[in-house]
Amino acid sequence: MNRRLLPTTVVGSYPKPNWLRRLIREYEKGEISDKVMRRAYDDAVKAVVKEQELAGVDILWDGEMRRDEMTSYFARRIEGFTIYGEVRVWGNNYYPKPAIVDELRYKDELAVSDYKFLRKITDREIKVPITGPYTLVDWSFNEYYRTREEAVYALAEVINQELRRLVDEGANYIQIDDPAVPTHPEEIEVAKNSIEIVTRGVNAYIGMHMCYGDYSKIYPEILEFDVDQIDLEFANRGFKDVEIFKEYEFTKDLGFGCVDVHTRRIESVEEIKDNIRKAFSIVEPKRVYVDPDCGLKLLPSEVAFEKLRNMCQAARELREDLEG
Amino acid sequence: MIMSRVIPTTVGSYPRPPWFREYLRKVEGLQKEGGGGIDEATYAKAVAEVIREQRDAGVRVFTDGQLLWHDLLCHLATKIDGFEMNGLVRYFDNNLYYRIPKVKAKLERKRNIIVDEFRVAYSIEREIKAVLSCFTLAALSEDKFYGNKTDLVMDIAHIMNQEAKELVKKGAKYIQIDEPSLLYAEKEDLSIMKDAIEVIRRGVDAKFFLVTYFRDAERIFPEVLDFNVDVIGLDFVEGYEKNLNLLREFGVDKEIQAGIVDGRTTKMEDKEQVRRRVEAINEIVNGETLYVSPNTGLEFLPYSKASEKLKILCRSVGDINE
Repeated sequence: MNRRLLPTTVVGSYPKPNWLRRLIREYEKGEISDKVMRRAYDDAVKAVVKEQELAGVDILWDGEMRRDEMTSYFARRIEGFTIYGEVRVWGNNYYPKPAIVDELRYKDELAVSDYKFLRKITDREIKVPITGPYTLVDWSFNEYYRTREEAVYALAEVINQELRRLVDEGANYIQIDDPAVPTHPEEIEVAKNSIEIVTRGVNAYIGMHMCYGDYSKIYPEILEFDVDQIDLEFANRGFKDVEIFKEYEFTKDLGFGCVDVHTRRIESVEEIKDNIRKAFSIVEPKRVYVDPDCGLKLLPSEVAFEKLRNMCQAARELREDLEG
Repeated sequence: MIMSRVIPTTVGSYPRPPWFREYLRKVEGLQKEGGGGIDEATYAKAVAEVIREQRDAGVRVFTDGQLLWHDLLCHLATKIDGFEMNGLVRYFDNNLYYRIPKVKAKLERKRNIIVDEFRVAYSIEREIKAVLSCFTLAALSEDKFYGNKTDLVMDIAHIMNQEAKELVKKGAKYIQIDEPSLLYAEKEDLSIMKDAIEVIRRGVDAKFFLVTYFRDAERIFPEVLDFNVDVIGLDFVEGYEKNLNLLREFGVDKEIQAGIVDGRTTKMEDKEQVRRRVEAINEIVNGETLYVSPNTGLEFLPYSKASEKLKILCRSVGDINE
């Protein structure tokens, strides 16, 4: 894809405005109509898209204002899933863990209308993030399929349908979020096959985002995945993992997480420039996409904005240096 | 052949009742570890609820559900002097994370660890297993002080011994030591753990359970048969054939706690199959009692599914005793 040097992007989520959170709570109590809630989501998307534009992001998404969480949001929209209740991830943190109770089938669009709405309100490039089938299955119970593998492939067919619809609507950059893949190196073949199904006949630039896990256990195997770009977190790990990727020639574009989303500290432009330069020891600059480690939703919005603004400024300055 | 009496029990954790989960989220926030500021009456109400759920399902030997535990390690480590808590790490092959305890100084027990929780549970139900851990706590911690595993395990064993004595004073009849890490251990670790159990038991008049889960027990046989415990807990979900063969090959003169239904999936087992498996195990073991349980704690399940799972367990074995 023909883009300028060091395009800046986001992984997906952005902090929800406080007023939106309050409205969601009221909506859940039945105090607000569907229509009013829909308008509220639209307004929130407009606001966070504007923020990303002001920060200088080249390729953006709608901040996932409508998504509560990256597993159950999709599971609720796919035939064959049900949700019994919440399960712990750690400490007091829980998520509604879906269960596969029937054959998985395409029911409802997952991101098409979000994409169409966003297309109307921004001229910037758009990336559509969608959770990958491997991760959705890994984070769900499986009551229906004989093996995990079968469940993953069935779900991959569903996601593939969605991606084709997105491309029909004009989407040209899709990101598969698959954080569970590095946590199961023993099933890397299943993950790889699932991506092949997901991307079959999908004429778009495909990125794959993976945080969590031990990258050394899935590298260089992930280079065989049928994607154009691999997007990874580096800042959260103090850039130690850069070494892992130097060992073999990195043959994909690299989404380089250069800003830590797990700390409120706002990295300076100079610091981020240094961070981005580390990516150049893995691939040449023209293959590097600049983004934060992960979604920004857990940060206060001012912090998220400042981090993005500094990141974009850092990319801009480096771009000028490189282009001379 | 004399069949053992089959008694359904739970392993440890039980999902928090949704209202209590919300309560803890409010008083503890999302980041903080350990307790503090938790109202005892509110806690007691939650414990009573999960004990009732177990009893209604047919369980006869209970746990308090470990409702304040954020994970197997930090709940013990934060009460022991010398530990500091670190970043999050995946707990075995589960989609569940724990904070790594870091050993920074000599470990010492300066306060009760689970005694206060036990007291609450015991006031509701007498047949309560108190759950501790020793080897696993050592194995999953980052040791920055001792420099050798034996000293670390032994110091934890001494601490658990003090705790066990205190628990017995409060009425405990059953002490369960949870040791999933033992299934991943080396042979020399087994002799350390054998000695550690002698230390933990010293002067403690209670029935001791050593419970393992997440995989088969190949690595601990036959050594574990010489451990000074009364009951050995094995995971017959992850390792049905292998564990059965181990028991056949080596024989066992201890009681067994058989983890027989899968505590990590909402898929419900076929009752007939569970019953047949329990009978197969019962033919090999010859203790007075055969405990049957889910293979793991139940915190991997949504609240409503935990009791359903226990009902499958209890109903499958319901007619064996008759």
